[in-house]
Amino acid sequence: MTVAAPRRWFQWVLSPVPLSIVVGLVLGAITMAVTGNDPVEVYTEIVRGALVGPNLIYTIGWSAPLVGMTMAVALPLRGGLVNLGGDGQLVLGGLVSVIVALNMPGPGIVKLIAALIAGIMAGGLYAMLAAWGEVRWRVPMLISTLLLNYPAKNFASYLVNFPMRDPANGMPESHMVEVGARLPGIPGTPLSSSVLLMVIAVVAIILFDRRTVAGYELRMRGLNARFAGYGGVNLDRQALLIMFSGGAMAGLVGASIVLGEQFRFTDYALVSPNYTWTGLMAALLANGEPLSAAIAAVFFAALQIGGFGMERATSIPRELTSVLQAIIILLLASRAGLRRRLRLGV
Amino acid sequence: MTDSGAGPSIGPAAGLGAVHRVTNEFEMLGIVKRFPGVVANDGIDLTVRTGEIHALMGENGAGKTTLMSILYGLMPPDAGEIIVRGAQVRFASPIDAIGHGLGMVHQSFKLFNMLTVWENVVFRAEPRRGAFIDRAAARRRVGALSERYGLAVDPNAIVGELPVGVRQRVEILKALYRDARILVLDEPTAVLTPQECKGLFAVMRNLVADHRTILFVTHKLREVMDVTDRVTVLRDGRVAGRLITRDTSAEEITRAMTGRNVFFEPRKASTGLGEPMLEVEALTVGDGEKPLVAAAQFAVRGGEIVGIAGVAGNGQSELVEAIVGLRPHDDGRIRVAGHDVTAEPLRLRRRAGLSYIPEDRAATGTALAASAADNLAMGFHRGAPLARGSLLDRSAMRTHARNLIKRFAVKIPDEVTQVGTLSGGNLQKVVAARELAHEAQVVIAEQPTRGLDVGATEFIHRTLLAQRDDGRAVLLVSSELSEIMSLCDRILVMYEGRIVADLAANDADEAKLGLLMAGAT
Repeated sequence: MTVAAPRRWFQWVLSPVPLSIVVGLVLGAITMAVTGNDPVEVYTEIVRGALVGPNLIYTIGWSAPLVGMTMAVALPLRGGLVNLGGDGQLVLGGLVSVIVALNMPGPGIVKLIAALIAGIMAGGLYAMLAAWGEVRWRVPMLISTLLLNYPAKNFASYLVNFPMRDPANGMPESHMVEVGARLPGIPGTPLSSSVLLMVIAVVAIILFDRRTVAGYELRMRGLNARFAGYGGVNLDRQALLIMFSGGAMAGLVGASIVLGEQFRFTDYALVSPNYTWTGLMAALLANGEPLSAAIAAVFFAALQIGGFGMERATSIPRELTSVLQAIIILLLASRAGLRRRLRLGV
Repeated sequence: MTDSGAGPSIGPAAGLGAVHRVTNEFEMLGIVKRFPGVVANDGIDLTVRTGEIHALMGENGAGKTTLMSILYGLMPPDAGEIIVRGAQVRFASPIDAIGHGLGMVHQSFKLFNMLTVWENVVFRAEPRRGAFIDRAAARRRVGALSERYGLAVDPNAIVGELPVGVRQRVEILKALYRDARILVLDEPTAVLTPQECKGLFAVMRNLVADHRTILFVTHKLREVMDVTDRVTVLRDGRVAGRLITRDTSAEEITRAMTGRNVFFEPRKASTGLGEPMLEVEALTVGDGEKPLVAAAQFAVRGGEIVGIAGVAGNGQSELVEAIVGLRPHDDGRIRVAGHDVTAEPLRLRRRAGLSYIPEDRAATGTALAASAADNLAMGFHRGAPLARGSLLDRSAMRTHARNLIKRFAVKIPDEVTQVGTLSGGNLQKVVAARELAHEAQVVIAEQPTRGLDVGATEFIHRTLLAQRDDGRAVLLVSSELSEIMSLCDRILVMYEGRIVADLAANDADEAKLGLLMAGAT
């Protein structure tokens, strides 16, 4: 809501997201106790592994692409549109930005900026293709966005296995982007400045959501599309633009990983960490509300990074954190039923 | 009906004949039901006698729906007891209630449209021969029931092909087939033509003549006066009146419902006609032999209210949606304030001077999960004072909402409350407040008082008349004849997509309109 009602703290705790996290952590503790582990120790190690010393930097580094991919879903979801095409948009964004960075003439900074813009456009236009299919031909985006992942990923695979492959390398990878065309790092850290790009993007999206006319129209569409149309919103145009924005966000993530961390396009490198699907969950949990979605994404990033720390310090495999994540998501998914049971009103 | 001597069924005033003994079919005593923040039923006593038609009345939010849900086993009461034919009962579900002889006819029918009447009626209580359904017996029984109560329903007809009034009788058959002693009819006349209403009342009389009991939930005073024996009126979760129909008056019932006097003023004629503000020429929606709207042609001038009468589903919604731009049309022209908007999208038609109170306030007119401020901003959100450039001014949004809430006396705690928590009448005020605040030259109001209580209806009517007296053009679509008759200066009747009549208000009477609505020429 643009206009939030004043809430007392206990109402906040009983609101879906915190309630699910607390109950999830308790159920997780029971699981650990049953399997003969000390929940306090395990949680301590997860927190240590996620937040203490250099681990905090890893969590931030892992959060950046995850938050970005969360926004790629959350933005359309705010208007009730489901973008399952994050992988395709991410891969095309990374691929196109590498192609531009490798082939564009001119100084490094020009290459960098052109590559970023090209990556953003590639992701955006690819997502818009799905929206166009729905607006023009009534092809449900739920299906088209999902299916469009395959041509994008396979096309990229083909390019880096054959025409674009760096023959000096045993892996299916492109050539390296020259140093001048890379995103600079943040001094004193191993992080790339893409973290800052993500922060700027998230802040912009939150402001868009809360403060702009278009953000208001998008929210109203998400709550009742017919109402938005009745109020004069051009729903087709809005769908095209918002899917472009979601895809552009994914394209930006792809471009910034490639230009800021890996400096080349490696087959599967963008999709194997599952940013898209973790981001999808974070966005769904928050119902597309950007601030909550970003917080959920950072929480999942911390949980995943914390899992590595826990695995090192205890005998428990880090899959436990996936279990925790799953429990929390299931609780949130059942929130309507839970709230009815708990008599919390609708 | 008790005077007809058809049986031991007893109206209260007829109890003088000492032979008749008054028995209570069911009693609800001290029913209390609380929801977070509201007491929906606050110690309600409802006593219904065997063989009577008992009206349950009350404004929206008075607690009728809650009380019916408790009676039908859909929710348990927090306190109180239910006694059916002398024995205390406790219903865990509608199945228990049906087992005790209750039958409910809901406002929205619960039927399989693809199946025949008898298949719908016997569903889950099929007569069997071994493992198979005894179709012949099922048809026979359903046919016999229909004949016995004068329902005139063909057991072999496909439900989806039947008119609404007949479908309602299928619902009644379903209850009778399960031998319902007590029939609860929830707003049964909302979807019927005047002729169909008469038919329903005849059926109701046949039913009580057979010692069955009817609880008739309605808003409509005249029907209560015509057909019922006694009336229980609810207000704010309590019983505000227990009245004997033949000894009371519409004014007394209204006073009990609203707690004040409501005057039904005679219609005041339009004070002066202006230019045509809405012109519709040969507007057609859909193609083929039976378009949804066939070459509709009319104009509405400033300073008049033009009504479109008709039974719901005869193309009125499609016509209005095509005019405002929510639905594409296939042929024709539309002008608003002299400006041709035929090719323009909805936003520009609104800008040319249209405002629209839609039929379905929850599905179209509002976003229920959004705040009143968000809902009231729609359409104002693109320019000053609510927006500067592409940025919204949230405090201006709230001020705008507070002003409208005050002006239209919307009962809402504050402007950040979600409108989904409001009653039907208050939700409709939110829609009306927003649309009328546009001060557009043309106001289209579609079923603006459907489901509203007397007080809210009166408010909406006064508001529409004030719009007319300000020189605006008002197009009113309503399936409520009394509404059309009391507000409109000119009346169009729609039947199967065509405008079949265009009458001055003085030339129209209810019988004539009723016939036109039913397709008679």
